[in-house]
Amino acid sequence: MACIIDDDNIYVNLIKKIIKTKALCDNLVIFNDGKQSIDYFEALLENLEHDRIPDIIFLDLNMPVMDGWQFLEHFTKIKNKFGKVITLYVVSSSIYPEDINRAKSLETVEDYLVKPVIISDLAKLFGKTI
Amino acid sequence: MNDKVIHPYIDIMESLEVGYWKIVNNENFFWSSAFLENLGYTIDEVDVKLDFFINKLLEEKYKNQFKKNFNNLIKNRSNFNQQIRILHKSGDYKEYTCKTNDGFSLSVKKNSNFIFFIKKRPETHEKLRHSNFYYGETAKMTRTGSWYIDFIQQKSYWDNESKRLLGYSEDYTPSLNESYKYYAPEYHNLATKLFNDCSRGIPFKTEIKMMTASNREFWVKAVGKPIYNETNEVVGIRGVFHDIDEQKQKEITLQHTSNIISSQNSRLLSFAHIVSHNLRSHTSNLELIVRLINSSETNSEKLELIDSIKDISKSLNTTIEHLNEVVTIQTQANHKKEEVNFFIVLNQVKKSISNIIKKNNVTINTDFSLVESIYYVPAYLESILLNLLTNAIKYKHDNRDPIINIKTYLVDKKVFLEFQDNGSGIDMNKFGNKIFGMYKTFHYNTDAVGMGLFLVKNHIQSLNGDITVKSKVNVGTTFKIQF
Repeated sequence: MACIIDDDNIYVNLIKKIIKTKALCDNLVIFNDGKQSIDYFEALLENLEHDRIPDIIFLDLNMPVMDGWQFLEHFTKIKNKFGKVITLYVVSSSIYPEDINRAKSLETVEDYLVKPVIISDLAKLFGKTI
Repeated sequence: MNDKVIHPYIDIMESLEVGYWKIVNNENFFWSSAFLENLGYTIDEVDVKLDFFINKLLEEKYKNQFKKNFNNLIKNRSNFNQQIRILHKSGDYKEYTCKTNDGFSLSVKKNSNFIFFIKKRPETHEKLRHSNFYYGETAKMTRTGSWYIDFIQQKSYWDNESKRLLGYSEDYTPSLNESYKYYAPEYHNLATKLFNDCSRGIPFKTEIKMMTASNREFWVKAVGKPIYNETNEVVGIRGVFHDIDEQKQKEITLQHTSNIISSQNSRLLSFAHIVSHNLRSHTSNLELIVRLINSSETNSEKLELIDSIKDISKSLNTTIEHLNEVVTIQTQANHKKEEVNFFIVLNQVKKSISNIIKKNNVTINTDFSLVESIYYVPAYLESILLNLLTNAIKYKHDNRDPIINIKTYLVDKKVFLEFQDNGSGIDMNKFGNKIFGMYKTFHYNTDAVGMGLFLVKNHIQSLNGDITVKSKVNVGTTFKIQF
């Protein structure tokens, strides 16, 4: 199962299309900002359903209400309670070295992908984790 | 015997170029060589006699007194000390002090008398006048006043420059008990503290605002030092103050300009950030679509993808419009300011969104009685009020109709506007520093694009004002604008 946290609907639709046509995974959840996804994860903790815990998360940085950094702060506190390895990639259009280095320095973040994502790379990431 | 006692002394006198007369038996005159040399004569040019001295060498107005003194000395051995002027060979009169031997506690033979002629040092006098002149000129040119507070006499002394700088006449007596009144009201406490500390032995050096007799405030650099007596008690304070008003005003203007520049700079930086980030997100979507089109196998798939290019172009357009709005602010800051009436502008704004106001049952209370109008760019005030108003309605509380209170007032000659709503409020701990950022939204409303407050702040700052916000979740938000 994959999870996309991004407020850019055009991007999300394109990724959805890629995942569908390449059949990269069966399940996909999408949130438009950090707050919605944190709410989802916290609700999951109350009632752990294995099928609803994603294997892979693609997180955007610039989002309204709760941005990617704030999400990472919250998520890092709870990520070990799911009894499952959740691989998190930051996917952002930001090419600022500060953003890239800051994200890569976090233990929760597996890697930093600059938009636009390369389709074959995306497929590889799914192959690795799912 | 006595002569021998005197002679070494005479030698010293001579070596100091102090001339003298020796009178033996009231008639036998001797003029020392130093006496003659000081006046520029040789022994051949003079007749060593009293008459010659009085008639030819002594200035007219001293003659009678000198004769009197001389006769008293000869007859009664009464000593004297007189200022006289003697004709120098050059034709000028030179000033001398002439003293009899008692002035030097010499005992001399009964039948002889000495009169010493001590050249008055005109240069000493001149020097003093000179240095006084230089001191006065320096004080004047550098605008530096000196003062002294005498704790024993309980008196305060100022030099003339102090009085001039503070706008008092030269015969003014400075007050000791009310000395705080020479400082600007907001510095009374500091001044009192500095002087109290100084009277306990702590010197001071500070920049402080003083006040003239006509209540004009000006900046000075003030230095004060405690003065001690032999037993190490502070008996007074001595100090100077240097008028630095011109420099200080420049410094303040410079600081102000530097603040504007740094705020403009930070806006520019966030603008550059926005441009690169927001434009990049569109271009990266375009790139992704192109890749997908290239890799898609069927034509229908390709067409579907081409269709979504429309969406990208539309949102790219919106972003560019937003950016254009921001750029326009920066260039419009030079627009003409004019007298703008708060009430009239608010009514225009209300009219333009009367539908929304009616639909949401909004109550707007205003109080512009303290400041009715302001010298401002009219379009900016309109934009500010429009954005704050739509903002307040957009984020109204779910359980109550919006009530908005707007008032204006003055603080320190600056116009303030307070805009208070009873809406849902913003969590200041989480979003406090982001409220005025571009594309920062904290609510789930679909029409929240995060441009309004960003524009408001830019409008205000481009005209050197500022905006602050206080908010409490479920209570409401208050914006405070300083124009």
